[in-house]
Amino acid sequence: MEAKLEKSPDVAKLTAFHLTGERSGDTLSEISGKNLLPALYAEYRDLSHLRYDYPLVLVEDSDTGNFITPLSVIIDNLLRETVPQGIDGEFLRKKVLNLENCIKQMVADGRDGPFSELWTQAETTLLEAEDAETQDELESYLEKISRTSKVLKVKGRVVDCDRKTPRRSIQHVWNEQQQVTRKNLRKRLDALILRVAGVLRADFEKSAEARSAGNIKGQVGTTFEDTFDFEAMSNLLTETLPEQSMSESRRKRLQSVLEDLKAQQFVGVENLDTAPDKPADPYTYVFETCSEAMDAFMDRLPGLVSVIKAIAIAELELENRYSEERHDPFFRKFDKTSLVPEDLSLFPSYLVLNNIEDDDAAEKARIIEALSSGLPIKVLEQADNILVDMMGGAGQAAPGGRGGQIANMALGINSAYVVQSSASSLYQMAPSISNGMQYAGPALFSIYSGAGGQSAGLPPYLVAAAARESRAFPSFTFDPSAGPDWADRFSILANPQIDADWPAHDISYEDSEHKTIREKISFTVLDFMATDPRFAGHLASVPVEEWDDTMVPAAACLSTTPMEIMDVAPYVMMVDEADVLQRVMVDQRLVRTARQCRDTWHALQELGGINNSHARRLLQKEQALWEEQKKQELDDLRSKAKPAAAPKAAPAPAADAAPAPAADAGPEAAPAEEAVAESVVEEAPPSDDPYIETTRCTTCNECTNLNDRMFAYNEDMQAYVADADAGTFAEMVMASENCQVSIIHPGKPRNPDENNLEILIERAAPFQ
Amino acid sequence: MPTPTTENFLKHGEDHYTLDDFRSSAPRWCDGCGNNAILTAMQKLCRDEALPPENTVFVSGIGCSSRFPHYMNTYGFHGLHGRALPIAEGIKMSRPELNVFVNTGDGDCCSIGTAHWIHAIRYNMDMTVILHDNHVYGLTKMQASPTSPQGLKSNTTPRGTYLQPLNPLTVTLGIANASFVAQAADWIPDNLYDIVSAAYRHKGFSFVRVMQRCPEFVPVMFDPYITDPERILLLNHEQGIPYDPVLGKTYKNQEEHDPSNIDRAREIASLEDKIPVGILFQDKQAARYENIRDTNKPYSPAMIKEALDSEFDKFTVMPAD
Repeated sequence: MEAKLEKSPDVAKLTAFHLTGERSGDTLSEISGKNLLPALYAEYRDLSHLRYDYPLVLVEDSDTGNFITPLSVIIDNLLRETVPQGIDGEFLRKKVLNLENCIKQMVADGRDGPFSELWTQAETTLLEAEDAETQDELESYLEKISRTSKVLKVKGRVVDCDRKTPRRSIQHVWNEQQQVTRKNLRKRLDALILRVAGVLRADFEKSAEARSAGNIKGQVGTTFEDTFDFEAMSNLLTETLPEQSMSESRRKRLQSVLEDLKAQQFVGVENLDTAPDKPADPYTYVFETCSEAMDAFMDRLPGLVSVIKAIAIAELELENRYSEERHDPFFRKFDKTSLVPEDLSLFPSYLVLNNIEDDDAAEKARIIEALSSGLPIKVLEQADNILVDMMGGAGQAAPGGRGGQIANMALGINSAYVVQSSASSLYQMAPSISNGMQYAGPALFSIYSGAGGQSAGLPPYLVAAAARESRAFPSFTFDPSAGPDWADRFSILANPQIDADWPAHDISYEDSEHKTIREKISFTVLDFMATDPRFAGHLASVPVEEWDDTMVPAAACLSTTPMEIMDVAPYVMMVDEADVLQRVMVDQRLVRTARQCRDTWHALQELGGINNSHARRLLQKEQALWEEQKKQELDDLRSKAKPAAAPKAAPAPAADAAPAPAADAGPEAAPAEEAVAESVVEEAPPSDDPYIETTRCTTCNECTNLNDRMFAYNEDMQAYVADADAGTFAEMVMASENCQVSIIHPGKPRNPDENNLEILIERAAPFQ
Repeated sequence: MPTPTTENFLKHGEDHYTLDDFRSSAPRWCDGCGNNAILTAMQKLCRDEALPPENTVFVSGIGCSSRFPHYMNTYGFHGLHGRALPIAEGIKMSRPELNVFVNTGDGDCCSIGTAHWIHAIRYNMDMTVILHDNHVYGLTKMQASPTSPQGLKSNTTPRGTYLQPLNPLTVTLGIANASFVAQAADWIPDNLYDIVSAAYRHKGFSFVRVMQRCPEFVPVMFDPYITDPERILLLNHEQGIPYDPVLGKTYKNQEEHDPSNIDRAREIASLEDKIPVGILFQDKQAARYENIRDTNKPYSPAMIKEALDSEFDKFTVMPAD
């Protein structure tokens, strides 16, 4: 880059443009048609030479739960797995990276498809380009890794960053998790159906009908029907009918449960013989609008209530815990109000794939209603064109920040899972997206595609990345299940340099004397907006000869009050097609919009615990209190220090003088008191009564077998002295001696007339 | 796992158990036998964890300790010598919702049942295994077992055993996929209870070796450790058994040992002059066989019939025409 930093400007013309947006004279020129880019974009003009998060592989059947993985990560894993480190692996490493480039190029050309298919095609292309000498080596390596590499077994489509990407990614993650949900629900239902049917069948087998001659004949078959006396067998079996069988009410309950479980339509049947004629997916769960999803949910609600009720009854029955007295009243009243989100999360969730540009006011209201409902509805709100929203109409400066309006509103609901992300960060946000899909309640995924097509022909990835970088569309996650407060639930960590208003990056360029200049510049929302030709009217290029110190970087202007920048000219740094640095002035209306965007970011920062105004005020208050307290303590010490100057002259305290205050006793006082208290506890006066260290008893029965009136077990089956007078001192001593762990302490004899007391006391001595 | 609605009912149901709910007939072990302490610890565990007796099963092999299932008022399977573990694995495989416990002795587990023991560790199926280790065959009136100390005179070794004893802890820690290894002493009942509780809560194969007194055949075997608490090394850690200040008064010899540190676990397991008690090793992430083999499908009677017919067909001899 080249730059010339000299000569003074016509200040009045510059500030006039800033204040009015009017260009006067020929000092300022339009930027339309100049193909200017923010200076920080200069390195990223050609994405094909860069390794970054795209293309993505939408991984199927992932063991690790990573459903969205960049191709570059897969290639890195492959290299780690199959290519030696260092110079030995240099040749193969280069070739594998060529393969990656080849796939990237195919995807950039509009091809997308399964990873394995693109890999195979890339292999062919690569091998064709090799000479005969290296072809064999490469072919052998590729053949080997195709057989052995776990990484290459990955299944999934490779996709580039375009308008379809948010929709595809969200639907992919939902599909993957729905498969698990469906499988688990199917397993649960099938197990319940089999077990409930088993209970009913077992009961039927006890009945006279089951043991009738006709039924037995049906079971044995016709081969031996002439030689077998079914009547005799039936009589024999009927005589041994069990006395107890299932109550009629229980049988009816189980039959009803079985019918409800079999009749459910929420998941289809998979290879089970319970209802083989049913379709695999009776219901659809993907919708274009929230209205459709809500309506479908409400239509199916009665069926859902029946199934959940049937599941609960069946589980209680099979646990043998169903009590008609306790449970009948509850299940009689079981209705939609009895459902809890955790129950609903066992069933497939409802996915809404929506585009914010298609929403009318009624649909927006429906979205908020769905997100407030607590129902398992997962909503993708895709935005392709956040700048229009921010400006309230193309090219018109107006209060901004509405690109994430729905997401910000959803935060206020407090019980909906919310993820906001641009398409460039889908990999980074994939765990949040995955958690949102698993969340028991509603979830909103607000995603900016960057593919609105308004940004001067820039690739969608770059536009989406710029939206996040410039705070125009920051990433955040709100997970109501993560904890009780905002610190647990809300995170803006996925944004760059979250402590700052705007991310700042190093840039270096050459001036007109070919000296390298290095400086740090911020990437503001004005840089992002400057890429959109619709706002060209609010921007003006300043010729290098007019550059002056009165021109101030836009980021610096945004950190001051509007009144402070009345006589300055804010600019953003851009580069033209030849990478020559330009200063592009922005008018006041655009700056105002940027200020509002920054304020929205500040609000998110506060929610995320950064520069929280409440915390700052509390800290100031506490700091003031602490300083006051310390000052007071210092004053007290100073006032005490003066009389202490002559301690030796002071008279000795009288014997009955009041004790010194605790504060004067010094830090040693407290432990001393504790020690005294402890010694009081530990050194309790020895008792003459016998006792057992009950908590150490090993339940070995020695003492209880000796005298079960004298010794007994407590509720934890550990022994204690139940009645010391229920036996002799001799028994007590014997129990002490027999105790395996020596925890019986015999005390003193209770009957002074007992025989051999002297010997017994001597024997008892070691156990006291 | 039941649905949340069912769970609420189960939680707030009438399932409050007492020790009596888990007590069956009076144990026929000798007075003073350490098995009694283990029995009490297990009954307390069942009571405190509110394990429904009908969903709990104790499996054993042969030996004094293997009489254990008779004394628990739960389901029980008093199996063949050395075969407790494969039986327990079969139970877990077909009824994964059951709480499975295994009681095995040092002869049952470490001699005739060694092969099953080794592979059960590797399979890491969710069950709690208590090795009642009294260092002797008691039921058959005193023969040396694999864990008998060198020189122990018994009916089969009148001149004393010739070999160093097998160390069940180091063996278990040496097997791939070991997931929970602990040791307890029957004469420290609170600690024993804490350890079996932790073992029960661990999802996987929890192996607890309990040093168990046999007052009949080796009455003084553990006396040095019972009378001298300094020879007990109490392991504590926030991820294992937390420090207990009451026990700390008696057992001052303590070590803060992180159960995820397998190297230190092996060193502790190899100590000869002290008996370490506590959790030596725990890996909560170790793969469990029942999960790996879970087809996620229940087997219907028709499927079972089809599978059996298919197996029978392999051996069917068609009658000659």
